[in-house]
Amino acid sequence: MTRSKEDSFDERSLIAKAKSGDERAFTALVNRYEDLVYSFSLKICRDQEKAEETLQDTFVNVFRKLRQFDGRSKFSTWLYRIVSNNCLMKQRRRKAEEVTVSIDEPTGFHEGDDSEVGGALAQTIPSWVDSPLDRMMTRELRVLLDEAIEKLPMDCRVVFVLRDIEGKSAEETARILGLSVPAVKSRLRRARVFLREQLTEYMTS
Amino acid sequence: MKKKPVTCKEVFNHICENLDEKMDSPRCREIRRHLDRCPNCVAYLDSLKKTIRLYRAYPQPRLPEKARKKFRTELKAQLSSIQRVK
Repeated sequence: MTRSKEDSFDERSLIAKAKSGDERAFTALVNRYEDLVYSFSLKICRDQEKAEETLQDTFVNVFRKLRQFDGRSKFSTWLYRIVSNNCLMKQRRRKAEEVTVSIDEPTGFHEGDDSEVGGALAQTIPSWVDSPLDRMMTRELRVLLDEAIEKLPMDCRVVFVLRDIEGKSAEETARILGLSVPAVKSRLRRARVFLREQLTEYMTS
Repeated sequence: MKKKPVTCKEVFNHICENLDEKMDSPRCREIRRHLDRCPNCVAYLDSLKKTIRLYRAYPQPRLPEKARKKFRTELKAQLSSIQRVK
């Protein structure tokens, strides 16, 4: 048996045991996934305390709902869904306190679809600096990356994190969030356009 | 009627949605042809890729050991109280 098949067999067996009330099996699942849940929560919440709170809430939910997990999706997909729902729910509660930003589509094109220049760019796109990533990752840039992603509305941020940071496909992201693939693509487009825009000044100066 | 060529606006929208996906449909081939002769769209595509690379490279702190211990202790207590209620 290959390593990944062994792992998945081992995981199925752990889940089955945990479902029947085996505490050690449940603890083994927690130990296996606590880092993934924490890291994903932190990428979405952008706050250590909130990520720790989400970690706790997620595994309490897993404990309560494990019997509902039917094994048709990957266990990690199910976990991503619980974390995403948890963060979206918390954000809705906080929404009144937050300043919302408007996210634009790409701009700077000539108007009109029928004219010769309609849809063509009306400006020159400046080139971004080209240096190795480790040399670029200064404290200043990290602050900028944090500030930019924190401004993104949560529904776009979750899609961006799943697709572009966690590397999930559009289909899996749609399954995790209970969205259609076109809805995932639309949110991803808005997130990418917005984040690129936020970094442009720094990356071209 | 002659088909209107792909515009920069369409290219921008397309690459923002499908950047890391296979681009082999007829429409994608048209977009690739547009990219071959449009330095602005190439610069935009490059900046979009760099945006994503920067976020991927952003170092993510692991769960601190103190927080891990606290989490495990609190979870155990919470699960025991749920089981008692059951």
